[in-house]
Amino acid sequence: MQQQRSTLLMITALFLGLLVFSFLTTDDLGSFGITILSGLFQGMLLFLVASGLSIIFGLMDILNFAQGGFFMVGAYITFAVFHGETFAQLDPNLRFPLAILIATAAGGILGIILERGLLRPLYARPIFQLVLTFGVAIVIGEAIKAIWGTVAYSWSPLTSFGIHQASFSLFDQQFGLYRLFVIGVGLLLIVLIALLLQRTRIGIIIRAGVEDSEMVEALGINVRAVFTQVFMLGCAVATFGGAIAAPFLGASLGMGNAFLLAAISVVVLGGLGSYAGTAVGSLLVGLAIAVVAKFASRPEINQTVWSSITPMILLVLVLLARPSGLFGKER
Amino acid sequence: MSDNILEVRGIHTFIGQFHILEGVNVSVPRSSITVLLGRNGAGKTTTLRSVLGLTPPRQGEVLFDGQAVNGKRPYTIAQMGIGYVPEHRAIFRDLSVRENLEIAERQKGDLERHIDFIFELFPDLKRLIHLSGGNLSGGQQQMLSIARALVPENRLLLIDEPSEGLAPVIIEQLMEAIRKLAAQTTVLLVEQNFIMASRLADQYTIIDDGQAVASGKMRDLVQDEALVQRYLGVA
Amino acid sequence: MPVSWRRTLQSNWFHVLVLLFLVMFPHLVGWITGDSPLGVGGRPRGQSVFWQLIFIELFIFAILAMSYNLMFGFTGVISFGHALFFGMGGYILGLVLEKTGAASEVGLAAGVIIGIVVCGVLGLIIGVVSLRLRGVYFAIFTLAVAEMFAIYIGRWPVTNAEDGFVLSNLPAFLNPARDRLTYYYLVLILMIFTFLFIRRLINSPTGSVLLAIRENESRAQSIGYNTLIFKLLSITLAGMIAAGAGMLQVILTKKVGPEILTVSFTVDPLLMTIIGGVGTFSGPVIGASVLHLSERIFNREFIIGSMSINIGQNWSLILGIAFILVVMVFPQGIVGTWAKWRAGKKTTLE
Ligand SMILES: Nc1ncnc2c1ncn2[C@@H]1O[C@H](COP(=O)(O)OP(=O)(O)OP(=O)(O)O)[C@@H](O)[C@H]1O
Ligand SMILES: [Mg+2]
Repeated sequence: MQQQRSTLLMITALFLGLLVFSFLTTDDLGSFGITILSGLFQGMLLFLVASGLSIIFGLMDILNFAQGGFFMVGAYITFAVFHGETFAQLDPNLRFPLAILIATAAGGILGIILERGLLRPLYARPIFQLVLTFGVAIVIGEAIKAIWGTVAYSWSPLTSFGIHQASFSLFDQQFGLYRLFVIGVGLLLIVLIALLLQRTRIGIIIRAGVEDSEMVEALGINVRAVFTQVFMLGCAVATFGGAIAAPFLGASLGMGNAFLLAAISVVVLGGLGSYAGTAVGSLLVGLAIAVVAKFASRPEINQTVWSSITPMILLVLVLLARPSGLFGKER
Repeated sequence: MSDNILEVRGIHTFIGQFHILEGVNVSVPRSSITVLLGRNGAGKTTTLRSVLGLTPPRQGEVLFDGQAVNGKRPYTIAQMGIGYVPEHRAIFRDLSVRENLEIAERQKGDLERHIDFIFELFPDLKRLIHLSGGNLSGGQQQMLSIARALVPENRLLLIDEPSEGLAPVIIEQLMEAIRKLAAQTTVLLVEQNFIMASRLADQYTIIDDGQAVASGKMRDLVQDEALVQRYLGVA
Repeated sequence: MPVSWRRTLQSNWFHVLVLLFLVMFPHLVGWITGDSPLGVGGRPRGQSVFWQLIFIELFIFAILAMSYNLMFGFTGVISFGHALFFGMGGYILGLVLEKTGAASEVGLAAGVIIGIVVCGVLGLIIGVVSLRLRGVYFAIFTLAVAEMFAIYIGRWPVTNAEDGFVLSNLPAFLNPARDRLTYYYLVLILMIFTFLFIRRLINSPTGSVLLAIRENESRAQSIGYNTLIFKLLSITLAGMIAAGAGMLQVILTKKVGPEILTVSFTVDPLLMTIIGGVGTFSGPVIGASVLHLSERIFNREFIIGSMSINIGQNWSLILGIAFILVVMVFPQGIVGTWAKWRAGKKTTLE
């Protein structure tokens, strides 16, 4: 109880601190609002990468370094399907969901292959699993390079679809409706996954497995099969994240690593294996990135570098101050 | 079909490169309580874990109800009808009491069918049903851990040191419960508390340094002070 | 004395042979191709000089991989931020040489000393604050710190951000572009020194503690060793050696830029160590040789008849897949698998 209160206090303090800092350092209400919305947008994307990372780690003790690669795969496939020849006749408003569907399915299938084919034989050698996912992350990046080259793609405005073009104004500042849509989708997924974990049998098994997967197996449950499903789901969700991010972020080779490190900082901040921690951590880190980016773009600082290293600084600080994270238990 | 529900024959188990069990034999007759005795670190827990395949034996045979189970994955072995109440309880702390029971269902309705029996054995659990496992006391956790093994239809229960760290009153209550259980199913128990063991069990097997060194009827062991003194250090 | 010499020679005949080969190598190439090891026409050209470059690169990689293996292979500590030390070594040497206005000899000596000390301290600090973390957390921590430095220095105006800067203030005797043979022998000597140093260290009482930590840290602790101190020693030494490798690299390329801080200088030694054999003395060297030579040989366009296959374009992809295969199939690497195979043969013979 005591600990829960102090955790809550800490989270509130962190959020308030970020908000107040942002409020004081932005010039007008409009750009303050935009900064917060950007933070939410960033946070939702982070959540999509981080949730899989966290649950997979909690359940199977694997830190999947390839998770950022899946995000990137999502962005590239969506981009390719949407802009490619194959479905060029299709209405853009249909083509886009189709692209997302194809990307997400591809991510899930790749996830199954990775878990079944590569990780399963290595459960007895955890350090090699770590090294392996690190290797897979590199292979994904290189494979993308081989297929799509090194140029960064950005979504061409000519081939946009309805919601992508729309925007609304907030205190005289324009904000793309699409980003608001992503925020909505992210929130929806946070709730859906929470319901899955709390209300379904597989959710109970996952939560129990995070605590003690051997005991779950001893009850007569095929834990390995659950591992595969969870791994597939985690990878699919990360791929989905890259897919819905593509219209805004485009597709580039750097995005995998950037999101991986930010997502790792989310997961460590929230406490590896804690779902609530991941959700809260995503919002915190997303906000922090947006607030710092806005602050660092002021003419007297003018160093974009700060926003890109914000997640690492956060990560290092959290590991030093509270390695078990906000919601984690001492390990 | 043999009279013994479980037959462990000459198993050798390794943990990492350590040779922990070096030939353990245990026979567990149906509808009775068999106790594994032995000093700390003798290999009692490892024997139970070997039966379930959690530490699969490299040699020897484990027959459950006449069927060889060694080499099978733990979940398939458990599904054949073995319930496990591990050392240190190992309930799921983040799950509610109800969820702790629900997760053990092997078929839909398992919990519903047995809930009355469970509450009859452990009335306390009824009012704790919505609490999370981590908030229970040690004794309540032990009850939950045993109750969890009663949710599905199990023909054999492996119970590892249920009395560990509990107050005498609670131990009495647990003993009563285990005795009632033995009327319906079979129990293979690990118990350090010799008094408790001698009052509960029908048969015993003594394990020492990874080997089964003696076995027989419990009432004979109580008479044999030399044997007890030699392997258990109590008289 | 002579007896012990003979024994040393007998048990190390393979190493001695390799050493002899490496010492003779520039002259061998020179003899075969007719291009003098000193260059052709008074300029550093020709086959021998070309191959010296490849081998210098190989030696540098071998030193880096050996330092990684000291941590990963012999202490069981997995870091994903080794590039930090390699890059910082190069950067500090470059900064001291170019930005302090020191005379080239003084600058070199000072740069080397400062660089190694700073990287040692950096390793120590990283170790002190993070080694109490569990394995995964330590790996994450090192990755984050390394990435932080890489991004920051990649945009740091003082070192010309992503462009980096050129090393022009090197002493005359250290000019790999002019006099490559001297540099070849210098780097070769340093590689041998590193090899002997690590072997000596691991065979010492300290080394046996490191190995005990790798096998089972809590047991090493329960025997009464302060494992943290030993792990610190390992990561500090590894950081210093990697810094040295980074310095050799920037002297060779005469350029300091953020590419020496990128994750590829973590991935490469990791790959080399695993392919060669984790926790073996010659594994990292063999891994570095295999990887670097095969890269040099295959990393280009092949023309077979009318078809051209550009392996070079997908070289990193092939490497990554090879890496995964090695982890899955031969986790003990070349040396480990070889040793197992030989041991297996012996027992069946007896
Ligand atoms: N993971 C492990 N690594 C090495 N040795 C182990 C491991 N687990 C157990 N052992 C050893 O195996 C032996 C048997 O352990 P086991 O837990 O079966 O004993 P036990 O009879 O249940 O003891 P206790 O009465 O204390 O519970 C012990 O000597 C123990 O040290
Ligand atoms: Mg025990």
